[in-house]
Amino acid sequence: MLKYLLWPIALVALLLLPHGLSFSQQEILVFLTINVLLVSTYRLLTLTGEWSLGHVVIMGVGAYASALYTKEFGLFVPVSMLLGGITAALIAILLSFPLFRMKGFYFLIGSFAAGEIIRLLWKRFREPFGGPKGIKGIDPMPDFSIGIYDFDFFEPISYYYFAGTIVILCLWVLWRIEKSPVGLTFHAVHWQDKLAEASGVNLRAYRTLAFAIASGFAGIGGALMAHYVGTINPNSFDVEVMVFVLTWAIVGGTGTFYGPILGCVLLTVLNEIVLREMGFEQLRPLIYGAILIASILFLPNGLESIVQRLTRKEAKS
Amino acid sequence: MFSRIFSSGLTRRTFLKSTAATAVSAGLPGAALAQGEPIKIGFLAPLTGAVAAWGKPGLDGCEIWAERINEAGGIQLSDGAHPVEFVSYDNEYDPAKARTGATKLIREDGVSFIMMLGGDTWPGVQPVADKTGMLFSTLLPSDLSPDTTTLIAPAEVHPIYNVTGVEWLAENKPDLKTAVMCAQDDALGLPSVATYLAAFEAAGIEMQSEPLLFDPATTDFAPVVTRLIADSPDIVCLDTCYADYVHPICEQLFQQGYEGQIISCTADFYDQMISKTSKEFMEGFIFQFPDFDDPALNSDQVNFEDPNGFYAEYAERFPGQWGAVSWEYASIMDLWKAAAEKAGSADPEAVIAAMKEGGTGKHAFGDANWWGTELFGIDNALVGDWPVVVIEDGKATIKGFKNIPEWYDKHGDLLVKHMKAYDQMWDQRG
Repeated sequence: MLKYLLWPIALVALLLLPHGLSFSQQEILVFLTINVLLVSTYRLLTLTGEWSLGHVVIMGVGAYASALYTKEFGLFVPVSMLLGGITAALIAILLSFPLFRMKGFYFLIGSFAAGEIIRLLWKRFREPFGGPKGIKGIDPMPDFSIGIYDFDFFEPISYYYFAGTIVILCLWVLWRIEKSPVGLTFHAVHWQDKLAEASGVNLRAYRTLAFAIASGFAGIGGALMAHYVGTINPNSFDVEVMVFVLTWAIVGGTGTFYGPILGCVLLTVLNEIVLREMGFEQLRPLIYGAILIASILFLPNGLESIVQRLTRKEAKS
Repeated sequence: MFSRIFSSGLTRRTFLKSTAATAVSAGLPGAALAQGEPIKIGFLAPLTGAVAAWGKPGLDGCEIWAERINEAGGIQLSDGAHPVEFVSYDNEYDPAKARTGATKLIREDGVSFIMMLGGDTWPGVQPVADKTGMLFSTLLPSDLSPDTTTLIAPAEVHPIYNVTGVEWLAENKPDLKTAVMCAQDDALGLPSVATYLAAFEAAGIEMQSEPLLFDPATTDFAPVVTRLIADSPDIVCLDTCYADYVHPICEQLFQQGYEGQIISCTADFYDQMISKTSKEFMEGFIFQFPDFDDPALNSDQVNFEDPNGFYAEYAERFPGQWGAVSWEYASIMDLWKAAAEKAGSADPEAVIAAMKEGGTGKHAFGDANWWGTELFGIDNALVGDWPVVVIEDGKATIKGFKNIPEWYDKHGDLLVKHMKAYDQMWDQRG
């Protein structure tokens, strides 16, 4: 019974959540929602055993593409967001040709290099990418009304509902992919690649597929961010941001679907709300770093291992 | 019903009114302050990360400024005296975090004015400024455009004041005829490159090569410096490089045996540069930001109150941390305080009207004009004299003040030409 009630309760909680928060916390909630999508797409990529350092840049590809589609061609913002995601997926397919000639550590470094090349192109070409200063004045999501609620997308609550709906849809698709035969093959490519290849699985094709799907959804995340903040520049997608994504994934754990989400939510709340509220604004990098080291030392399997232990105990009792 | 409750369609006024109930004790801009209630000022700048050197020292300076003002009785508005209090938010030089910070400062903390470093973070904040009508200040006037009616640049007109250093150099060392320049390829570096190119051209100094633009992620400056000094230039110009670049570039210039003139926008923590190179090597280094213990700042033209005392207090509390921005945010507060007292209110609209009345204002380095229509599309930059600083015997020394509008009247066309070439005019940006 509780199982069936859980989802409606969670949905109502998510709907009510922003109303219990301050204005700045609502803003943080918007970015957190987008980052949840980002880190979940990153996990899909890691299912095939490859860790990338270019994922945030791919998110940026979606952001730049969507911003340019609206600015240059006047496309309706939701359409440009979708096209931004498709563009990110297509760029990922292009990148996969050189990148998937590599594996493991070499892929990691290769993905970093590919990401830096894209960032340098954004900086180099002022037309159309805006150079180092990036693109500003990006069209916001147009306001609309659904009768009982007027969406004003300057307001974080409205944008949270909009982004939240898209993110939930994307997470549902990612979840379905992971649980489908394709998702199982991703696992096989990671853990039993020789056996999978012997069974006729095209390893490279599946790695490319995971890379393209993860990139496409990350691109949608980038587009969501671009149309909310109204500006993007190459530094918004640099390796420092990528380190945060890696940290969320590592601290949360990548064994389960919810692990990276848990890491992202807890670390963002800690860094952006708790430490700031406690007056440790300037000490945040130090404290954040110490907590990371402690969590890696004492929770090597990530925060998800705590949840697993708790649910196992509950099942036994 | 719900539609009416949730209906937004915000304007500046309705926005401020609608959030007033939530920010009960915050005292929103425009809302009357209770008698003796502190006036809150927002400080929205990078306090951590690579650009913190242009945020944190400014906040430290503001804290000293606030103590001095509060000891002297606070800010006198029409309803009496109010103490002043700073509320900071570390935006990490990220536009998204800057937007969050601006929202917090306005809608939760109820600040009356927000000071920013600007640059990459301003476009994230601009929608919030447009919606709320809050008065913001920036240290980077390249943020200004005709749309930014509530954004002012009252302390530093970066990078235009760099022309004063080159002008002084040409007058005092006329035998130096060739120059090279390097800069990071970003929003801070490029307008400064255009300005230095105009200043060198106006001074008859020939550029030996195109400015060398390096990636902001650069950490090894040996090859940059090798290329830079390959043709033995008389002058090496370091543009507006961050302290993280100026220091290693100077070290490399020293190690690679360069003996010519160096000119730079900043020389933050120059004592560390001297210890990494030598006093002799750094002798004659020209830059634009004085130490405030300089006796030249005691002249009548300077409007910053008791600069020497301010510097002494700063040096005692934060030894070795004096930098380009240590005084700038505090000087903006001098201007804001005078305008608020003149208007008798902390309301952003009233303050900006009082501040710009008559088209002149009291800049830290002397009386100045609200200026900038040609370059920025709006006259929201306060421009007048700017000091030229030279390191002599290991100490920054003001060699004189030069007038920026006077230079612009003579050579403005050169500046516009180079700004256009680097896509830095207000109608070319973004």
